[in-house]
Amino acid sequence: MSKIALKNIEKSFNKVKVLKNINFEVPEGKVVSLLGPSGCGKTTTLKIIAGLIFPDNGEIFLGDKAITDVPVEKRGTVIVFQDYLLFPHLNVEDNIGFGLKMAKLKKKNINIQVERMLELVQLKGYNKKHPHELSGGEQQRIALARALAIEPKVLLLDEPFSNLDTKLREDMREITLEIQRKLNITTILVTHDKEEALMSSDKIAIMLKGEIKQFGTPEELYENPNSIEIADFFGKKNYISCNIAKHTFNSGLLSFPTKMEDIKKGKAMIKPEDIIIYTEEITDLRGVILSSKYGGQRVYYTILVNGIELMAVSQPFKIFKVGEKISIDINTDNIKIFKEK
Amino acid sequence: MKEKTKLVYKVIVGIFLCFLLLPLAVIFIWSFTKNWPWPKILPENFGLRGWLYFINPSSKSISTLIFSIFLSFTVTVITLGITIPAAKALALYRFKGKKLIELLIFAPIIVPTVTVAMGIHLQFIKIGLANTFLGVVLVQLIPCIPYSIRILKSVFELIGEDMELQAKVLGANSLQTFIYITFPILLPGVISAGSMAFIVSFSQYFLTFLIGGGKIVTFSMLMFPYIQSGDRMMGSVYSVVFILTTLTFLIIVEKLTNKFYKNKLKEHNYV
Repeated sequence: MSKIALKNIEKSFNKVKVLKNINFEVPEGKVVSLLGPSGCGKTTTLKIIAGLIFPDNGEIFLGDKAITDVPVEKRGTVIVFQDYLLFPHLNVEDNIGFGLKMAKLKKKNINIQVERMLELVQLKGYNKKHPHELSGGEQQRIALARALAIEPKVLLLDEPFSNLDTKLREDMREITLEIQRKLNITTILVTHDKEEALMSSDKIAIMLKGEIKQFGTPEELYENPNSIEIADFFGKKNYISCNIAKHTFNSGLLSFPTKMEDIKKGKAMIKPEDIIIYTEEITDLRGVILSSKYGGQRVYYTILVNGIELMAVSQPFKIFKVGEKISIDINTDNIKIFKEK
Repeated sequence: MKEKTKLVYKVIVGIFLCFLLLPLAVIFIWSFTKNWPWPKILPENFGLRGWLYFINPSSKSISTLIFSIFLSFTVTVITLGITIPAAKALALYRFKGKKLIELLIFAPIIVPTVTVAMGIHLQFIKIGLANTFLGVVLVQLIPCIPYSIRILKSVFELIGEDMELQAKVLGANSLQTFIYITFPILLPGVISAGSMAFIVSFSQYFLTFLIGGGKIVTFSMLMFPYIQSGDRMMGSVYSVVFILTTLTFLIIVEKLTNKFYKNKLKEHNYV
């Protein structure tokens, strides 16, 4: 069993609490992302799991065993760092075999494992090259191969793709996830890239200011965020004041019947993609385009409807001009309401 | 335009080289010269007295040279032993009083060595270290350590601790990490710091003279009386040997570094 669980982990540096009550669990063979802006404590959490930093409070379990006090070199977890950290004085072969050499394996067995790893990351024949001869993507793959060579129970990835350009990043992500699935290795991915987290994880833990604000599947987090903070983390949204009384949703923009309980005062979240823009006089909600930004696959508008400014996104079949009169429709099924005190 | 800047560049480099090499050339010529009266541009009477005396075993020049190299080598090894961990601590760790320690380490460069050495001499006489090999080695550490720490500290700052952490994550214990990762990556820096320490130690005159009390004779002590007494020929012979020794040492070190590490460490631009 190599599921990993964190229980009430806390950590302070110089009396500043950087981690507060961190709890989450990664089932065996699954990928969990720690997602958050820089400085939110996600890398610290990863280092605590790896044993590079010891927590002030709390326990870490690998399977059923507490590993909180196990030193880093005996943990069975391994980190791939953001800048790969390939040993510059060793060639690819010795880099990948490093962990095995430290474990005092026989040369013959090390060679077999190195070959296996090179095949896994699709870099056969790179044995004698030195790190400075490799491209960024190749370095990243060698770093991954080096980490996997020691057959760790848990793989920890610290922003492993952020130093690569967009196209390469996507390829590397695919390769990495494919290997992850093939080996069925429990993985924790630290990232600040929301798309990366959404696309590669079974579950995501959103960290803000040293706390896990929400833990759930990518769909749950995107469709059903538990706070405005988290909703905004996945992109800007529209919020309008509203209330619900007698099973009717009321706001300055629209009202419709709902099954939700009464709320005296709340904020209704409307995703920009849930607003559909039509030419004038198609619906009753009339407005005007304030600005538009052309983004290739999408066009981003701000529109003014009933004195309320809204953001909307649409595909560019029809491009509206600034100042053009329009009407809109709102997909009310996806409206999410946050209570206000 | 480009040609012009190239020419200017060449002229400047040429002038610098003249300033550096001309005095050396003069010394070299002097070492073969009996006398060189003003205003002659080149001397007329040449002789090998200086060199013959130097080679003659009864002058003990060569044995002193070898002893001196050995002494400076010892000082270098001890300096590195002290400064590698110290430089790491100063570069990577945060602790109380760090600024003060940094200041104190550079004190021997700021405060004249004479004043420091006087005090140390008294203490060394009391504990019986004066006039001994060990005493001289210890006192020569004083001017060597600041330079070595300076160099190694910047190397550690450049490398950081990440490589070591990575090695540990991969299952290396502390000793293995040092042998297989820290030391090899640090080696170019160690070599620079080591050559600096060697040269500083090799050229110490006053400290050796004071603490060695004339019993420990190094090469620079052998050379000094000749320069002082005005025997230009002898002084020049010793100077040439002195320069050749340090130069040879530097060249060997440079070649070794190139051979083993420069190519492999291209991305660390500190070589």
